[in-house]
Amino acid sequence: MIDRVASGFHPFVLPFLFGMIFVLGYCLYGIVKILLQLSHEDRRRFLLSLINPVTAWKNIKDIFLNCLLHVKLWKRNPVLGYMHSSIAFGWFMLIVLGHIEVMLFVPHRMRQVWYPIFFNYFVAEGPGPATVQGALLFTLMDFFLLVVLSGIALAMIKRVRSRIFGMRRTTRPSFLDRVGLYSLWAIFPLRLLAEGFTAHISGGGFLITPLNWVFRQFLGDQLHMLPTWWAYSIALCIFMCVLPFTRYMHIPAEMMLIPMRNAGLKIKHARRGFTRAMVWSCPNCGVCIDACPMSVKKINLKDTTVYLNRNIRRGNEERIEQISDKCLLCGKCREVCQIGLDGPSIRIAQRAMRSYGLNQDYTSFRPAPAPAGHKLLYFAGCMTQLTPRISKAVGSVLDKAGLDWEIMDKDGGLCCGRPLMTAGRFVQAKQLIRQNSELIRASGCDTLLLSCPICYKIFKERYKLEGVRVVHTAEFFEELIQTGALHVEKGDIRYVFHDPCELGRGSGIYEQPRRILGRAGYLVESEPNRAESICCGGSLGSLTLGFAQREDMTRNALKHLTEGGPDAIATACPLCLATFSRYADRAVQDIAEILDRVSSKG
Amino acid sequence: MSKDNIVIIGGGIAGMTAASRLLRLGYTPIIVEESDHLGGHVAEWHKLFPDMAPAQDIVQRLAEEVSAANIFLSTRVLFINRLHDTYIVMLNNGVSIQAQAVLIATGFNLFDATKKEEYGYGIYDQVLTNRDLERWFTTGDDPRLNGHEVKRAGFVHCVGSRDVKAGNTQCSKVCCVTAIKQAIELKEKFPDAEIWCFYMDLRLFGKKYEDFYINAQKDYGIHFIRGRVSEVSEGLDGRVIVKAEDTLSGKPVKVTLDLLVLMSGMVCNATINPIATSLGIDLDSDGFLRSKDNISHIVSSGRKGLFLAGACTGTKTVPETIAEANSAALDIHLYLTEGK
Amino acid sequence: MEFGFKLSPSSAVNLDQVDLSLYERLAAIEPDLRICMACGSCSATCTAAPFTGMSVRKVILDLQRGKEKEAAKMLSGCMLCGKCTMVCPRGINTRHLILSLCRIYGTKAKEEGK
Repeated sequence: MIDRVASGFHPFVLPFLFGMIFVLGYCLYGIVKILLQLSHEDRRRFLLSLINPVTAWKNIKDIFLNCLLHVKLWKRNPVLGYMHSSIAFGWFMLIVLGHIEVMLFVPHRMRQVWYPIFFNYFVAEGPGPATVQGALLFTLMDFFLLVVLSGIALAMIKRVRSRIFGMRRTTRPSFLDRVGLYSLWAIFPLRLLAEGFTAHISGGGFLITPLNWVFRQFLGDQLHMLPTWWAYSIALCIFMCVLPFTRYMHIPAEMMLIPMRNAGLKIKHARRGFTRAMVWSCPNCGVCIDACPMSVKKINLKDTTVYLNRNIRRGNEERIEQISDKCLLCGKCREVCQIGLDGPSIRIAQRAMRSYGLNQDYTSFRPAPAPAGHKLLYFAGCMTQLTPRISKAVGSVLDKAGLDWEIMDKDGGLCCGRPLMTAGRFVQAKQLIRQNSELIRASGCDTLLLSCPICYKIFKERYKLEGVRVVHTAEFFEELIQTGALHVEKGDIRYVFHDPCELGRGSGIYEQPRRILGRAGYLVESEPNRAESICCGGSLGSLTLGFAQREDMTRNALKHLTEGGPDAIATACPLCLATFSRYADRAVQDIAEILDRVSSKG
Repeated sequence: MSKDNIVIIGGGIAGMTAASRLLRLGYTPIIVEESDHLGGHVAEWHKLFPDMAPAQDIVQRLAEEVSAANIFLSTRVLFINRLHDTYIVMLNNGVSIQAQAVLIATGFNLFDATKKEEYGYGIYDQVLTNRDLERWFTTGDDPRLNGHEVKRAGFVHCVGSRDVKAGNTQCSKVCCVTAIKQAIELKEKFPDAEIWCFYMDLRLFGKKYEDFYINAQKDYGIHFIRGRVSEVSEGLDGRVIVKAEDTLSGKPVKVTLDLLVLMSGMVCNATINPIATSLGIDLDSDGFLRSKDNISHIVSSGRKGLFLAGACTGTKTVPETIAEANSAALDIHLYLTEGK
Repeated sequence: MEFGFKLSPSSAVNLDQVDLSLYERLAAIEPDLRICMACGSCSATCTAAPFTGMSVRKVILDLQRGKEKEAAKMLSGCMLCGKCTMVCPRGINTRHLILSLCRIYGTKAKEEGK
């Protein structure tokens, strides 16, 4: 392998150079912008995490697995996984191998950054016999080019027929997205042509050498060589120049997002800092559209997380507000998202940015003291007052287990604060947390039992109740069965369990309620379930969805739940219970109610 | 006697009244009734407003009048096919009838009060529905009431009516006056009882209904609270605590009761819906069957030979139902005699 | 009857002169505001009512009668628990109605002050 062009330069590399300088400059600007937008404390935390060997290693591993190999996507959809990793990893390998080639054969060209990209143009086969190294590299280069091309081919098919890939709905690309897309599609076929036309000079592997032979059969001269190298360089230039303004920004942004997440940063602002990195990292794949429970109605499609990101990038304030307020905060988009984009938290942060002419103050409230002298307090919560079968069943089960308990909010009490949190009213929520905490501490209990996952989540996460165990009925009752405090007689009813958002995705409790149901009768599963369970549609998370607009979501969730033909639908949330009961064609029951029916003193 | 076959679906007071008229006009109608007895909801009722007439009297009289008709009890219509000007009515006992006219008189269902879970029906023994109470008036037997002295009772109006959450936005029309009637009957059984009626609006539109209301206030001392009950919880000593807002004083009220009666509203008897829609009868926005129009053709379906009577087209009182059934019988007769 | 001298202002609501601007403004955001039938379910079920006399029904009524200050006072204890939205027989999104009102409350005074 020897130098063919004495200067090592040709004007066709200029478009590429321009694009590269532009995109690197923009990324640098983005990094500085994000860093400046972080709070002082977060910035410190982030920078320190970069030099911590543990997180640094995790960063490298995560970037390699997610950005290049798309491991998460492979697990979800192997075809899409192959498509993405073939392009990302294939391209990455082409760049790496290009550098190796330069290093091995023309090490004095290392400083000319375009060399690895346009290597085949600038070299010619040496006079001596082909080396093993050279042959191997050519084979590898051709192999990865083929890999990338297969990915591009899949991408083209996907553009026309996304359903083949298991995606019902995808986003509509913007004009610039289209420019980026077509230039990306063009890059590799153009490279194939350019290298194909050049292979009789530069040599090549199993792909481009035969191609060169074919070309030379009917295109005898070398006139085609330069135009294709120019086209290749221009395609690269266009792609890199539009990249910051298109979905392809996710390629560099995710490399920023992963270390930030590994540093433990949280969303604190709806636009700035960590959120900015997230929004830039969104590849607009549209997986969240199919996942969103609101998507059963076409009118809601553009209120999904991918459109939230798009509007944040465009600065469309009115739409950002609308999208933020409509969401049920069920968290499913976060669950299915390849980059773990936290749409619900961005929305809550957006809600928190508002100023109100009237601000609530609960400091003057004097709630009744919680009953003292009992080890176990049961906090029914606001919603359970509308579903008395739950509270009655919980009481009955606790009595059967022979426990010394009392209900904390018998004559009503304060709200737990979670609904305020979801509305972004943090200051107010903290007042309630403080008041409730004092009541609980003063009661002298050691366990706080909750049947409502909405309450449970905030008690678990935000209350600081030293020495008091916060437990949901699903966990607690399962323990009562395990320890033999309750005797359970298995019935023959077939239950399907609906994972409430706040209990499952929100608090990670999936198995305990299923074990209770397995003891009470027979458990049938429905798809999707557990972490991908469909919100019942009744969520307090949405501020603006009206009653009538929720019906289709509830019916859709019910349709999936009842596919396996269960006799009854079991759940563990008063809000899900009330919502499903409205439209269900069979019994909807809380796990407490079911357990009460089949249990007796242990 | 005419050879024309007329199938009447539903053996409640609408179906029976129409059958009685058609018999007198010389036809032998066929009544198909899903339950094992004639008389429908009225047969389960104790007394009827506004004259406190025993419901059994009406049902008995009608049963005697229709004894010459062909009556299928405990029978359902599987499907109806239209064949030119006749209808082929297929029953679940294997019988198929070629009918020249069909009258749908399937009536209503009582709203399932367990769907308003916050009112505690099926959870607390102290909570009954209007039907339960009526049955107790008739039979004197209900485990939830046997041996209990009722000292404080409440009636909740509009349970499952005027309620988008319950899926019914229409007013059930008869519950206001039924609540007053039942309150008076209850008061007669327990003269010392304090009785509260929780209402949103009192709709006492019918003949002598307002007199009933005045009676309840003046002679029986029944209290009326303008406010919808929001929730019912269990109190001590086997009583329930009812929460509402007294919207007239603007204060929340709470009352401890040993009996709470839910005035379950009327919803369409949906078992007929698939058959009705297959014959081209749509559902109206209130969930009941749609008449040709709601003013002068309530008993007409707009389809030849297919007629409607009673509560299948909307919430109706007993006199309204009877009047409609009479009208439907006449329409059927005119249809069969004046050419189709 | 106004006689030209009195110790306290008349408590009568003069519908000829009532200021409905806040009501109309809210109704533009929450059209369902208009379908309230004042049944009182929201007030009866309210978690904050025992502490503050909060009543969505009264808030709506006060706005319909042009009594903005009274309406605002009652909202100050709302915990956004959503029970009122659950029980409303007309399906009004009372929770968002409260949020919207808190948001636009006072903006009118500000705009007039400018």
